[in-house]
Amino acid sequence: MTDTPPTAVTTAPDLAPRVGDAPVVKQTERPHPLTPFIRGWLVLLAIGLALFRDFLPGGGGPDQGNDFLGGDWRLLVVAVTGVVLLAGLAGFVSWYFTRFVIDDEELRVETGAVFKSSRKVPFERLQSVDLIQPLAARLFGLAELRLEAGAGDSGIKLRYLSRSKASRFRDYLLARASGEQATMADHQAGPTASLLTDLGAADRPLVVVPLQRLVGGFLLSGEWLVTLIFTVAGLIVSIRFDAVAYALPGLLPLIIGAVSLVGRRVIAMFNFTLAESPRGLRITRGLTNLTSQSVPLNRVQGVRVVQPLLWRRAGWYRLDVDILGYASGTSENNEGQATSVLLPVATSPEVSATLARVLPGVDLAGVRLEPAPRRARWLRWFDFWTLRSGWDAHVVVSEHGWVTRRRDLVPHAKTQSVRIVQGPLQRRLRLANVHVDTTRGPVDLVARHLDTAAARELALAQLDRARTARRREREQPRPSPAPVESPTLGSPGPHVRTHDSAAPGNLADDSGHPDAAVLARFGVDPSALLGQGGESRVYALDPTRVLRVYQSAPPAPLLAQLGALYAGWAGLDLGVELPRILETGTIDGRTFSVDRRMAGQVFSAFLASAPEAERRTALLSYLDAAAALPALPCPVPGFARLVGLGAPQTYATLPELLADQLNRALATSRAALERDLPDVPALWARLFADLAERRCTPTLVHGDLCPANAFVRRRIDGSPYVSGIGDFSPHSLAADPLLDLTGAVALVELETYPDAAADARRLTGVAVERYGAEVGHWIGVYRRYYGFYFSMTYDVEPDVYAWCLHQLRA
Amino acid sequence: MASRATNELFAPPDYAWRRLSPRYRSLLRLTTIIGPPLLLSIPAVLILVLTDLTWLALAIWGLAAVIVAVRLVLVERGFRAWGYVEREDDLYLTRGVLFRSLVAVPYGRMQLVEVASGPLERAFGVATVTLKTASPVTGAVIPGLEPAEATRLRDRLTELGESRASGL
Repeated sequence: MTDTPPTAVTTAPDLAPRVGDAPVVKQTERPHPLTPFIRGWLVLLAIGLALFRDFLPGGGGPDQGNDFLGGDWRLLVVAVTGVVLLAGLAGFVSWYFTRFVIDDEELRVETGAVFKSSRKVPFERLQSVDLIQPLAARLFGLAELRLEAGAGDSGIKLRYLSRSKASRFRDYLLARASGEQATMADHQAGPTASLLTDLGAADRPLVVVPLQRLVGGFLLSGEWLVTLIFTVAGLIVSIRFDAVAYALPGLLPLIIGAVSLVGRRVIAMFNFTLAESPRGLRITRGLTNLTSQSVPLNRVQGVRVVQPLLWRRAGWYRLDVDILGYASGTSENNEGQATSVLLPVATSPEVSATLARVLPGVDLAGVRLEPAPRRARWLRWFDFWTLRSGWDAHVVVSEHGWVTRRRDLVPHAKTQSVRIVQGPLQRRLRLANVHVDTTRGPVDLVARHLDTAAARELALAQLDRARTARRREREQPRPSPAPVESPTLGSPGPHVRTHDSAAPGNLADDSGHPDAAVLARFGVDPSALLGQGGESRVYALDPTRVLRVYQSAPPAPLLAQLGALYAGWAGLDLGVELPRILETGTIDGRTFSVDRRMAGQVFSAFLASAPEAERRTALLSYLDAAAALPALPCPVPGFARLVGLGAPQTYATLPELLADQLNRALATSRAALERDLPDVPALWARLFADLAERRCTPTLVHGDLCPANAFVRRRIDGSPYVSGIGDFSPHSLAADPLLDLTGAVALVELETYPDAAADARRLTGVAVERYGAEVGHWIGVYRRYYGFYFSMTYDVEPDVYAWCLHQLRA
Repeated sequence: MASRATNELFAPPDYAWRRLSPRYRSLLRLTTIIGPPLLLSIPAVLILVLTDLTWLALAIWGLAAVIVAVRLVLVERGFRAWGYVEREDDLYLTRGVLFRSLVAVPYGRMQLVEVASGPLERAFGVATVTLKTASPVTGAVIPGLEPAEATRLRDRLTELGESRASGL
């Protein structure tokens, strides 16, 4: 149990419940016995000030004061003594009935004489433990312990404990709050606070704000200058007009305001030290009230960097932070409570070092900020050129302001909601504001006056980014207390890149998963699987990219060829979205590629769930998309095979190309076909006899145009349309465009929803209507071609193989 | 040009907006028709009774009629502008005619879902659903839903909020 220092008073166990053979009742402690006197003296001071004001010349009237003095001063003394005694008594009663227990098992504080309250706080719910030493308590070697236990709960204040005990409690509680299995005994001989400082030996100062900078920043701040100007002007005017006595009641609030401003900004922030402690960051500040406040890093909801105009020359910034649970956010009230100011006056390297610590992994300089369009000048003529916003993988950033530059940063995971707001004037100018909402606090991220398309993209993608970031956070192993290294302030390197899973412990354990190595490298969970085809699996990487892992290594030049093919189409506007390969590689024998994510839903999923009318509309647009593909440029002239080993390979005629393709396919499936079909050579001959009569010019052919390779979106009116075609592959050729048309109408039959065959028939009918009866004939021919071509799936996809046989038998 | 850009800006993501119940529109119309005339009748009646200026009272009533007409149009547009859609991971809301806004709230961020219904709303058989997140400015409110839909929404959102709850 706790040792009993001389100041503790063992109590009769009248507050603890007695339940039969209950174990021995715990000893609770009271705060230090000097407490009531310290609290009492504040009352005395207040009374003294109130009385003394009566004696000030001009205030309250000289006559009144003299009367008072001339009157019964004995009565005055009695009155004052009475009040002081009452205050002292109240303080004593409050002290007597305050008890607390902080030991290995629990944290409990009981207060109240008449209305008793017992507050017990689980250690894990403690958010921050602050040590505050008001002037009076400091002189006697006492300190106040302030505990914050979660948003919405008012904090617990333990007044006053001896300084050494308070700091020991603080260290112990912080250890328990972060989940360590600490005991009180561990912290008996730890570092303690002193009269002037509150840094333990384990704390390394990250930033110390020197007094000259603090005072200089204050003197150059807008608030001070305005107050000063008004006060001085008021004084001058009143003196000039000889009306000081009348003006004093008006000037007095100004003067008091100025004094309190100095108090808040300079005295409360005196010797501001941001230190790195084993459990995050700690802020120590204050001249009269020494406050030590811990900054729980995982509660940081957002950061704001502010630079007023006058600080620009000196290169000073202020850093505000939005921390969940700190009651006052927007005001800069810096008295005894937790301040939301992380650095009151700091230089640029200090800001970078601190940001690196608070938002690990974020590279501020690397975030590309887009300016608002010039149209914004009609609405914000005064600072439209300063409006900027942007994002990267970790944070979203927005900037505005010319007189006072403000930059807000919000990590994606802390996004509460996203709003797009557009007023009538903005509507005329095609602009909109995007708000990224966080909890209450100084950070207020608004990306102002964005172009409407950019606004929509930012807002919708922000939710995806937030979701991915939250998932990543959940899966990260809880960061253990970082080893305390003192960073040199010139090099703002990030300390712990918690977003890069340097220890992919979660995923590497899943060694059964075939793609584990690649997934681990990208920090992707197997549950992010979007789809699976015959050759590869596709995982969501982030809102704009997907990770494709190939089952078996594709032939070496394949990905490079595909990448080149896609890149060649990059600038075209076909009305249909085309894929793009961003990066490729091999890990652990698995080949992967990072592709641009196609918008919308996979068409086959849509077909499986949509009602008939919508399917019909979508299928018509699917035909349109198939008809649009021939407009793509071919990298080589003539009939050719575009992708694969030995590609590009050109052929003189279409039948030669197709024969080569089929030979490649039949190399594996010939035996199966001969087993299942009566006369394969005859079928072959008939197919090529028909193909010999085909006259066409070679265009780009996808070669595997089925609903699984198409994407569908909705227009504003809700109607679905096929918006993208993806997954070009070794099937891609420079050949007859009717190949893709056949694929579009015929491969729908392979879908598994009940009306697939009916839809395919209808689609064929539409195609014949649109393009002529001859197209019907060629669709029949190419069906047989596809029957041969896809027979290579005989062992992996029996449904497809059955379809192939059906085509060939017909 | 501007309106097409605006339409695209406030288009629903993927699916179509779900609209409010027509009973809410009746409620709005009723309050619009009753409100201004009632208010303006006070000075009008006073003028009629106390002075001789009958024409002034009639003018005030005429003004009330104009206000009602204008507000009916505005109410109609405002009603049509409300929409919401539930997606797999988040809820989208749109509102407003002059100041349009689109609010997107992920399910995991929803802390509280409230269904409330004042006396007038109860008489018309509609209810209001309010979503609260940790941010005070989210402002996700859907008025004028039928009680069955409101209850369904509340239950579904609470369940999703619980299962997706992510720490702050």
